[in-house]
Amino acid sequence: MKEESKEFTPNILYALCSWCGSGGSETAGAMKLHYPENVKPVRFYCTGGIDPVYIFRALLEGADGVVVSGCHPGDCHFDTGNYRARRRIAAVKTILNTLGLDGDRVWLRWVGHGEGKRFVDTASEFDEHIQEKGPSPLKGIRGV
Amino acid sequence: MERIYEIQMGIEELARRALETGTVGGVAALLEVPETNKIAFTLVRAPEDVKGLAPFSPWMLENAARSISQMTREAAFTQPVAVILRPCELRALRELVKLKQVNMTNLILISFDCPGVFPIGSRLNGNGDLPAAYEKAVLEGTNCPGIRQVCSACEEFVPRGADMVISLVGRSPTDTLRAAFPTEAGQKFAEALGLLAEGREVEAGEERDRLAGIRADEHNALSARIQGSLKDLDGLVSVFDRCISCHACRYVCPVCYCKDCFFESPAFSYYPHSLHKRLEQSAAGLRLPLDRLLFHLGRLTHMGASCVACGMCEDVCVAGIPVSQIFKTVGGDIQQMFDYLPGGSPDDPLPLLTYREDELKEMED
Ligand code: SF4
Ligand code: SF4
Ligand code: SF4
Repeated sequence: MKEESKEFTPNILYALCSWCGSGGSETAGAMKLHYPENVKPVRFYCTGGIDPVYIFRALLEGADGVVVSGCHPGDCHFDTGNYRARRRIAAVKTILNTLGLDGDRVWLRWVGHGEGKRFVDTASEFDEHIQEKGPSPLKGIRGV
Repeated sequence: MERIYEIQMGIEELARRALETGTVGGVAALLEVPETNKIAFTLVRAPEDVKGLAPFSPWMLENAARSISQMTREAAFTQPVAVILRPCELRALRELVKLKQVNMTNLILISFDCPGVFPIGSRLNGNGDLPAAYEKAVLEGTNCPGIRQVCSACEEFVPRGADMVISLVGRSPTDTLRAAFPTEAGQKFAEALGLLAEGREVEAGEERDRLAGIRADEHNALSARIQGSLKDLDGLVSVFDRCISCHACRYVCPVCYCKDCFFESPAFSYYPHSLHKRLEQSAAGLRLPLDRLLFHLGRLTHMGASCVACGMCEDVCVAGIPVSQIFKTVGGDIQQMFDYLPGGSPDDPLPLLTYREDELKEMED
């Protein structure tokens, strides 16, 4: 099982807010921790500023999964951005599930500035999770 | 319990009296001009112009919440105006209030329990006669064949929060009116016109409940049908592959209010070199226009929580995509998750503009 799925290297987008999410990745760097190279971090100003359209765009344009990390509840740099993001991600997952697509190809997990280990663990865990799922069928329909 | 009064006049007479007594300075409603076979949402100011007022006419040429928005967004009416809207127009209006696109000052909201409307084409290409089958369906409290699919499955056909609620189901459009006045403004309006003193209290008919039952079943059937047709990726692709990207659906949508739609912004305009690069990477070639499915998925996230399932988008779609049925189904799931009825209560904030700290933990991974 594992052998087989190893042949597939998922294309993963890791959306991070500028504050905690990116902070987590910086801490990971300072601690010299590694995460899979196929996980590509993208920095957003705040998770609350991520228009779900960009998540769908990524999934339609070749990503096998998208994971979003921002500040833990109560820690948002803008106080409430992460709570708003949680509602938007909930809408994205609902849309994917209702359409018979897979809401579980989108993850939301809080990562604090100092949580370098949690950052790399999330990247690895999501990578494995998507490897098990296999390639996203959505990315094959580019142009639709 | 709502109190329903039998009023000894029809809708034209009511409007005329409201204008003549100066109770309102205008009446906004659908108006028929039989000589030219025209029908349009119209703001009437003079009592003699109420002739042809046809708010129960079974066509919706636009969701009139848009017109009210245009007339009040920057400046409220300076005197009372009675607007006669279908329940889904009223709900759209309330969503637009929350989006700061409507000023409700001086609006008297009149609505009615709605038997549904036919697709626009049947009016524009037809003679405007009221089909006999429609009249019969209204009288009996059933769905008339041929009305919009989302109308057949509309469970919100009894208006919420209107100042005057006319009982139409179970009645004939030419009958004198039966109406309730659930709000303070409605009571004042009725008193000013002497409706309560002249009126006689009557019992609600059972036809409305019959229709409610039929609609609930139809709603389940519609959701199952749409989900079934989209369920696997092939279904989704084949449905949206027909889309020609005209964006007419969002243009007529009452809750898609943005002056500059995100999907027409530079974020979605491609330069040649970017298209060339994509073409290089794509074995299957590049199908244009791009982003057709993305547009719909994106629009669902932008306004799916506010979709009032009015059916306008589907009516204007030349590609025959069941847009409003899809938005009703998917939007309905979003609304259910947020426990939100679009245009239901003015006190419920828009789901994507609010949050609770202790919610949706199940959405975290
Ligand atoms: S109206 Fe129809 S064809 Fe035009 S963008 Fe909407 S779904 Fe596509
Ligand atoms: S699709 Fe989105 S951006 Fe475009 S008009 Fe509708 S809500 Fe606005
Ligand atoms: S998406 Fe379609 S059905 Fe929903 S409110 Fe807009 S026009 Fe009406």
